[in-house]
Amino acid sequence: MIDIQVFPLLLGLSAAMFTIGSVGVLVRRNPLVVLMSIELMLNAVNLAFVDYGRFLNSEDGQIFTLVVIVVAAAEAVVGLALVSQVYRAGRELDIDDLSEMRE
Amino acid sequence: MIPGPPPGMNTTLAGTLAVLLFAFPLAGCLGNALLGPRLGRRFCNIVGPGVVLAGFVCAVIALVAVLGAHEDAKSTTVTLWSWIDLGVHGLKVNVDITFDPLSVLMCLVITGVGFLIHWYSVGYMEHDESPWRFFSYMNLFIFSMLLLVLAADLVILIIGWAMVALSSYLLIGYYYDRPSAVAAARKAFITQVIGDVALYIAAFMIVTNLKVPSLQLPTIFANAGDSFTQGGGLITGICVLLAIGAFAKSAQFPLHTWLPDAMEGPTPVSALIHAATMVTAGVYLIARFHTLFDLAPIAQGVVACVGMGTAVMAGIIALSQIDIKRVIAYSTMSQIGLMIFAVGIGAYSAGMFHFATHAVFKALLFMAAGNVIHALHDEQDIRLMGGLGITMRRTELCFLSGSLALAGIPIWAGFFSKEELLGLGSLHGPWAPTLYAVGVGVNILTGIYAFRLFYTVFRGTPQTARTYAAHEAPPSMLMPVAILAIGSFVAGWALLLGIPGVVGRFFLADFLDPVFTANGGHLISEPSQGAALATVLIGTAGSLIGAGLARQWWYQRKPDAQAVAGRVPRLLTQLSLHKFYFDELYDALFVKPTRRLARELRTVVEPEYADGWVESIGRAATSLSETFRMLQTGRLRDYATGMLVAASAFVVVLAVIVR
Repeated sequence: MIDIQVFPLLLGLSAAMFTIGSVGVLVRRNPLVVLMSIELMLNAVNLAFVDYGRFLNSEDGQIFTLVVIVVAAAEAVVGLALVSQVYRAGRELDIDDLSEMRE
Repeated sequence: MIPGPPPGMNTTLAGTLAVLLFAFPLAGCLGNALLGPRLGRRFCNIVGPGVVLAGFVCAVIALVAVLGAHEDAKSTTVTLWSWIDLGVHGLKVNVDITFDPLSVLMCLVITGVGFLIHWYSVGYMEHDESPWRFFSYMNLFIFSMLLLVLAADLVILIIGWAMVALSSYLLIGYYYDRPSAVAAARKAFITQVIGDVALYIAAFMIVTNLKVPSLQLPTIFANAGDSFTQGGGLITGICVLLAIGAFAKSAQFPLHTWLPDAMEGPTPVSALIHAATMVTAGVYLIARFHTLFDLAPIAQGVVACVGMGTAVMAGIIALSQIDIKRVIAYSTMSQIGLMIFAVGIGAYSAGMFHFATHAVFKALLFMAAGNVIHALHDEQDIRLMGGLGITMRRTELCFLSGSLALAGIPIWAGFFSKEELLGLGSLHGPWAPTLYAVGVGVNILTGIYAFRLFYTVFRGTPQTARTYAAHEAPPSMLMPVAILAIGSFVAGWALLLGIPGVVGRFFLADFLDPVFTANGGHLISEPSQGAALATVLIGTAGSLIGAGLARQWWYQRKPDAQAVAGRVPRLLTQLSLHKFYFDELYDALFVKPTRRLARELRTVVEPEYADGWVESIGRAATSLSETFRMLQTGRLRDYATGMLVAASAFVVVLAVIVR
């Protein structure tokens, strides 16, 4: 049986992971690191879902988590494919440099 | 045992026939348009006339069924499907069709004469580049015309009414690289639309004023007597509007100017649409709405006067025209004027009789003229013809048969129908004997212009060397003409078997009269035997005098036609030559002001007023976009920041404000 004290701690961990991830997305310029940071944010959310699910004695949190994992996998595939294509095109892997869509 | 209703036509049979009558020409239209370019000329030449022949077979079966029906159940109305149904008191449009003697007669003429003209077209359009387009339009016309005459619902009738105008437009403008053809097509269509609008208004007035609101023609006719007062202003207005619709379709004064110009289309089109069928739709419309017209004697009088007036006017114009097709076009206008006169005085059967014989001999005249035009390589000026009887003996004989029928020479078809119609006109109609006298005048005019054409084209001395080089038409163009030539000789007897009041039994009247006696209608009385004989003799004398004068002026040239023309008042010859100045009048009254208005709008109103605010909207949008465009930096991190800030703000709003 998990102690009731654990839930706020886990929520705090989730918040910390989310913050670290979002800062990573905002400050890093390497797309690979940005993708990793997004993964971190998603998993922070997953943790919060599971935590709340357990706290409220409901399986909804875990179902949501599974959905998020699937979406995260798809997102990683697309993201990594884009990164590898950019690399193959001989471009530098710098997201500030990849700004042609402005035009 | 309860006596049931008298046995009418089998409804299953009627429904099947109607579907087939619609399906054949429609399939021909689509097949020619979609498969024709791929499968080539031979395909079109078989399918184009073939579907019309199939339609004719259906029409003959329908005729047998209607003839076999009981005297009191001649009219069979079938609902093919319900098209629009908005509840018990709402709008209800059914695709209803009626088989009765009137619609069956129309179907027979449309598909029968129509088939012969399609057959003729195979030869006439031999050198045309796109026979698929031609036959597709022709089949579309047959479909539209059948829809119009079989419709038992006002909406369906109006759809058919508008679709014949459309197919006429397409076929007049068939040679779309000729500016004059395109202009003629436009003129015809605009005139038709004027009539269409009058018809729509009449339809609205009928439906809104009917005791039992309904769009179905049988219901309308059954309730007309209760809903409208005899001779009242409302019913008179409705009938005048219906008549305006009919005048536009049938090229009657004052909406007649489009018909001569419509001769820009290929000759088979002139024969089919602008002589035999579409232009007589106005006669059909008035005959079909006879229940309403019987309630409005003033409107009937207007119709009769306009019909006779147009007959005289067109007859005078036809005397001086020099284009072979235009002469026949004016004679068509004149003959339809007589039909309109007949239905205007209540002689519906007589009007339809003249419609049937006229369809035969006028299609014949047009197609024989087409042979001449073809042989002379598209020459239409009769002053350059003459003596064609030498090289085109068979065409000449056929044309002669048509001219005899047109002029109303005894025992040819036109004689029976015209004398029947005029005989009834001597008793009925406004200023009864006067209009009859005018009708005899029309007979004289008809004789003159019919034989002027014959003598100038086929007799006398050839005017150009081309006459000697002319060749008789090929069999595919000669056979249909020959069939119609025999038809215009026998059609009168076949449909009549005698003249009413004089001898025999009026077969066609017996056939059609149940239509016109339904819903409390009554037939107009026939002249007594002596009076009928007198009118026939006077009318025939008129026709013979006309033909004789033409022979004297244009064949024997003693005195010469020019000399005669010099002796009549100059005003009359000028009016005839300039078609009573109607084109000039309409040009000055409608065309020029409209063009001027358009030009003013284009040069003044549009740049100075309209363009200003339209462009300012554009400028406002441009400057706004300049501002928003700065948000789009293209940098991923800017967007991520925006998302994060917005998401955080959202959470704050939820947590602080909404709680």
